[in-house]
Amino acid sequence: MRALDKLWQALDQRLELDPIVEFVAHKVVPRHRHSWAYYFGGFTMFFFFVQVATGILLLLYYRPTAEAAFESVQFIVTRVPFGWLVRSVHSWSANLMILSAFAHMFSVYFMGSYAKPRELTWWSGFALLGLAMGFGFSGYLLPWNQLSFFATQVGTDMVSKVPFAGAWLLKFLRGGNEVTGATLTRFFGFHVAVLPMLTALLLAGHLAFIQRQGMHVPASLEEEAKKRKPIRFVPNFMLREGVVWLLGLAALAALAAFFPWELGIKADPFSSAPAGIKPEWYFLFMFETLKLLPAHLLGIEGELLGLGAFALGGLVWFLVPVLDRGGRVGRRSRAFLALGWVVLAYIVGFTFASFAGVFK
Amino acid sequence: MTRQLANATLAILLAAGARAAVPPAPAGAPGKHADDSCIGCHAKLDDVRLRKPAELATADIHHAQGISCAGCHGGDPTSGDPTVAMDPRKGFVGKFAPRAIPEMCGSCHSNAAYMLRYAPNIPTDQLSQYRTSKHGLALAKGATDVAVCSSCHGAHGVRPPSDARSPVYPTRVVDTCARCHADVALMNRYGIKGNEVEEYKKSVHYAALTEKNDLSAPTCKSCHGAHGATPPGVDSVANVCGTCHVFQLERFDLSPHKDAFTAMDQPACEACHSNHAIGHPQDSWIGVADKQVCGACHSAGDAGAVAAATISGALSKAAASEAAVRERVGRVKRAGMLMDAADIKLEEAHQSYVMAEVEIHTVTVARVEKQTQAVLAATSAADKDAAAAEAEIRFRRTGLFVSLAVIAVAMVTLALKIRSMER
Repeated sequence: MRALDKLWQALDQRLELDPIVEFVAHKVVPRHRHSWAYYFGGFTMFFFFVQVATGILLLLYYRPTAEAAFESVQFIVTRVPFGWLVRSVHSWSANLMILSAFAHMFSVYFMGSYAKPRELTWWSGFALLGLAMGFGFSGYLLPWNQLSFFATQVGTDMVSKVPFAGAWLLKFLRGGNEVTGATLTRFFGFHVAVLPMLTALLLAGHLAFIQRQGMHVPASLEEEAKKRKPIRFVPNFMLREGVVWLLGLAALAALAAFFPWELGIKADPFSSAPAGIKPEWYFLFMFETLKLLPAHLLGIEGELLGLGAFALGGLVWFLVPVLDRGGRVGRRSRAFLALGWVVLAYIVGFTFASFAGVFK
Repeated sequence: MTRQLANATLAILLAAGARAAVPPAPAGAPGKHADDSCIGCHAKLDDVRLRKPAELATADIHHAQGISCAGCHGGDPTSGDPTVAMDPRKGFVGKFAPRAIPEMCGSCHSNAAYMLRYAPNIPTDQLSQYRTSKHGLALAKGATDVAVCSSCHGAHGVRPPSDARSPVYPTRVVDTCARCHADVALMNRYGIKGNEVEEYKKSVHYAALTEKNDLSAPTCKSCHGAHGATPPGVDSVANVCGTCHVFQLERFDLSPHKDAFTAMDQPACEACHSNHAIGHPQDSWIGVADKQVCGACHSAGDAGAVAAATISGALSKAAASEAAVRERVGRVKRAGMLMDAADIKLEEAHQSYVMAEVEIHTVTVARVEKQTQAVLAATSAADKDAAAAEAEIRFRRTGLFVSLAVIAVAMVTLALKIRSMER
């Protein structure tokens, strides 16, 4: 213990750690009936850490070429000790991370926490969710199986609809005109280098903003939060967070053991597309909507119109802190509350309906 | 007139230098007609019998190649006057007598040099084959109710056999034959039962053609011949089946059945498999009991019956082993394990099983058992893979419960710690 004390003193002399200690000692989390919502951010981050750890382990064996990708994943799940566990946990954790991120986003939205002065936190969070979906989209192709190959073909094809830059964007994403080994190498690069770097930067900003501004308490819960003693961040909230993280770990272990992630069959670019190509579940609401649109609407290509509508919807969602003027003074308009419920109902409804085969 | 037109057409072609290497048209071959009054007039006629040929002509392969009505019917198609256009003195023939049709078609289709102008690889022996066929022989004897070229190919609107709309396309040829061969009264006049097509439609061959859409599946003409249609004799049945079932024929030739069947005047394959209603062979056919094929010649206790029982036993054991291991591997797969190696072994087992079924045709126990032993060896190896995978599943589940217990203890400890801190 003495050695630790000495080390601390040495560091303190050089870095002046007192203000940090002071900050940590006084950092609290408000306590009210919706405090549970504060756990989603950390829960999402837990899954992100699991992704980094399992991703690094997968990198030891994975080979990002069209010739070897499928076989290397097959090798990981059949021959590498605990490779099956690492791969399954990586796949399940990716999905739980996105699910948790959605829960985090909607809980923040419904508590009105996006409003001034927390616009930067909302925007960095929005970008982080976009990056997480980018991780999902790029990672889906990496095992190079039949379903992911054709789903990537459909998915990347959508960017070709972007006016003016579509053709260039398609070539940039695919590394050519078709989905080939060049696409795989490119997606691998995005997945393990570009996206993690951007995520690390944005995540650091996102966390810094939260630390700087503290947790937001909705106006309707302020009275309750004032009456109740707040939770100290260290160690109480951290320990509570620890319980939630352990729950996530247990869920991952159970899912990996009982529902190992399927590998499918190796992609064959010359075969016809298999029936029932679907993207990952978090793209389903967009996928099914685009499928429902007619080929042409008001003289414009239906798919282009749909993608334009999603882009516009995303922009509105992104700009909510600016558009919801009442939110800044804690009086969020009913229209934005209703918008939140409509968006949630639409995403959940379309996703479940897609799984139920309503759109077949 | 026809000859003149042919020569004129050829002269134009040669002058244009378009087909300098093409051999000249034979004497009497139909020519191409730039002006054709036949279709123009016939298309307007009220009598459907006379109008139909003009309507069908546009889909006709001859018409598409520029050979118009006069190519077969003669006459002068350049004249708009019906009495001139259809003047018998100009070679016009209205309706051909059945006997004239093969010769008329053969006038071009038997001429290799002429046919080369249209299709370099088209056979030109149809007429000579037809003359040897049951149809051709009966026609030569004066029968008028036998098939001639137009009976199967159509008279007008003739399409190439590769066209799915052609009556002789694989998926349609059976019904084309059935137009006559399902007519019991007509067939009985020729000593044929008339139920052949009905029987064929119960066969694996017809199922392959219609259910699997396998265009290489045998139809009537595959075994009987198309233009030289005739039933294969007892001696040639094996050769007919052997064109596709090569290995089975090879094994049959090694078997003691070959000479025995010849001596007994039994058609080789047909004796066990029947002819038209060929079903999927079942291992349960092997034996001398009721509904088993060996019983037709062998009886209980003789050497053949003993061999059949041994072969049947070996096959049953191999089949049961394959089914059981396949089921076990499937169960492990459903639990999420990758079983590619076991699948390969099961595939090997199945290949050996198919070979065992082929070896049945040698009726030699040792040869069949060699293959069934290979089946058992491969299924045993796959079974070991399945057992190892089951052990791995148990290990994973045990590991899961241990780690869940550790996680639960950690959670409870943390919860207690929080409680004690916040009390």
